[in-house]
Amino acid sequence: MRFRAKIVDLACLNHFSRVINTIAKLAKTCTLRLTVNKLYFILSDRVANGGVSMWCELCQGNFFDEFQMEGVAADHNEIYLELMPENLSRALKTAQNAKAVKIKLTNKHSPCLKVAVELPSLSSSSRIVTHDIPVRVIPRRLWNDFREPVVPDFDVSIYLPVLKTMKSIVERMKNLSNYIVIEANLSGEMNLKIETDVVSVTTHFKDLGNPPWASEDGCQSSAQGRDLQSMAEVRIDIKKLQQLLVGQQVNPTKALCNIHRIAKSLRVGRDL
Amino acid sequence: MKCVIGGTHLRVFGRAVHAMARVSDEFCFDPIDKGLALRSVNSSRSAYAYVFFSSMFFQHYCCTAAPQPCQKERQLSLACKLIIKSVLPIFRCVNMLERHVEKCNIYTNAKDHHITFQLLCRNGIVKTHNLAFQECDPLQAVFAKHLCPNVLRAHSRLLADIMVHFPTSQEEVTLSVTPTRVCFKSYTEENTDFPKTMVTEIQLNPDEFDFFQVGVDSEVTFCLRELRGLLAFSEATSVSVSIHFDTPGKPVAFSIEDVVLEASFILATLSDSRSEMASQEPACFSQMQESSKTCTDKSIDKDGGAEAAASKKPRWNRQAQNTVSGAPASPLAKQVRSVPTVSYRDTAGTGGTAATKADDRAVLEAESPYHKFHSLFFGAVSFKEDATSHTFHSLATASDTEEDFGKTQSSQVL
Repeated sequence: MRFRAKIVDLACLNHFSRVINTIAKLAKTCTLRLTVNKLYFILSDRVANGGVSMWCELCQGNFFDEFQMEGVAADHNEIYLELMPENLSRALKTAQNAKAVKIKLTNKHSPCLKVAVELPSLSSSSRIVTHDIPVRVIPRRLWNDFREPVVPDFDVSIYLPVLKTMKSIVERMKNLSNYIVIEANLSGEMNLKIETDVVSVTTHFKDLGNPPWASEDGCQSSAQGRDLQSMAEVRIDIKKLQQLLVGQQVNPTKALCNIHRIAKSLRVGRDL
Repeated sequence: MKCVIGGTHLRVFGRAVHAMARVSDEFCFDPIDKGLALRSVNSSRSAYAYVFFSSMFFQHYCCTAAPQPCQKERQLSLACKLIIKSVLPIFRCVNMLERHVEKCNIYTNAKDHHITFQLLCRNGIVKTHNLAFQECDPLQAVFAKHLCPNVLRAHSRLLADIMVHFPTSQEEVTLSVTPTRVCFKSYTEENTDFPKTMVTEIQLNPDEFDFFQVGVDSEVTFCLRELRGLLAFSEATSVSVSIHFDTPGKPVAFSIEDVVLEASFILATLSDSRSEMASQEPACFSQMQESSKTCTDKSIDKDGGAEAAASKKPRWNRQAQNTVSGAPASPLAKQVRSVPTVSYRDTAGTGGTAATKADDRAVLEAESPYHKFHSLFFGAVSFKEDATSHTFHSLATASDTEEDFGKTQSSQVL
């Protein structure tokens, strides 16, 4: 099992750091899955009630200048590591003007992800800052736990409004209620509602746009027959929603939300 | 004592108070002839901070106090012990101080034991803070800096840039040097088989330092928290910071020196023996006395076990001195006018004699077999400075916190 990667471009480093910071805000521990072309940050929370699960897929070519990976075996050319994203975030925090950042999987006393940052210095040779982040290698038998979540048969899929706006609204609503109702329809309308004994507040968004989904074996075909105006709604824990929105440091090109009424699940996906 | 600090210097003074705050909950305001000294020692006696402002730092400085008719004649003002929490709010927003405060008057009233800080601000606003103080005998760590084989000097900016890589929760840091390389590494006591925390290491080229001298390859581990106070202070003064150290176990001194001020932070370092750290008992005066009589053992780590166990709970308490009697050579009993101490260990054989001879010496001894740390040696500041700085003693002290550090005894006798 080997892994080494290198980033030399500051913009890429910055972008990568911001992705890591976002993930660090969402989860204390997460799984890093490395394949030949991609990195995945996965959090699968098995809590049935309002748990948060996360799947983040990054194309390594977008960030790394060098990326070499040898998985656990030839036919399973992947590596699964469990780590604390906070550590990675901290390691990259002070690397923002680095000449190069190298990441390597090592196993001196125990498995570690070694982040070596080469910083410019006044003297002839650079300053090298090394961070050894302890990781746990996840054995192959547990890999099934981290499969990509299947896009469920949702009722409505809609693009989210500007996340900053949504965040500030949700933050104010948090003071009034523990649960928030999100409803959306296929005409690009979305409402955020809270309702308590004393007050009910609704914020309306219009013209958000709905992402086109290619119909696959009829699972979306019901959408075609559906009334475009009818709202699909879910009620979720407002704190979890806010946690998700607060962590966003990367401005996504697209953020969309899928609502599955029956399963009462809300899926927010973003292209980073 | 009366002094006036001008606006521009207030920031520096404020930072000094903040630096003291990182070391201990109380500090000592010690006016002497040449200027004002601030001193602070932490509870486990493993860190000592000293900042000295010469009279030129002040717009006006006067430290003689009129002798009171009923008291013995006093040449100098009292040293005051103040609680940091009361003084810190006065210098809270250090950066704002410069902008709003024109000058600060500080004066003491020996009679009713009050010290007054008066901030004269813009627009005619005057803020007066009256604080009560306790008289104290200021402690002074004795540390022969010039005997240290390893000396590094760098601008405070460099050190700040290094320390920024360590998380603020990082307690201890190891500095290791060889003639070709300097390395700062986070120190953790964890079992290396399953580490949970991130370990950070910074390697630098000796070129980056203004002055670099390595006499002996060494790795010293000290507490970062206390050091950060000094670094913040030195950034305010933009003076270079010098680091003097020796082998592990001997203290490390971070100091800055300027025309109008000087500061030293002397921190204990982890000694080499990698024994398990059991809970340690705090340093105890009484133990010191007992062990001073009986200790002949060279190895600090091993001795005093029995006595340590038997010793009562330690307390560095000036008032308690009187209760600590009985033992003939109780240096403690004699307070204050002591001179810096002498190495205990080397005169181990004559330990008893040394103690008796130095009535006025305060000695703290290592007591527990567990700890590998020894505390700093302190002597009270006397009027007559002892010209010969003797060896310095290591005071062993255990503290009951997990990061106990202590200085080992120095081995030199002058």
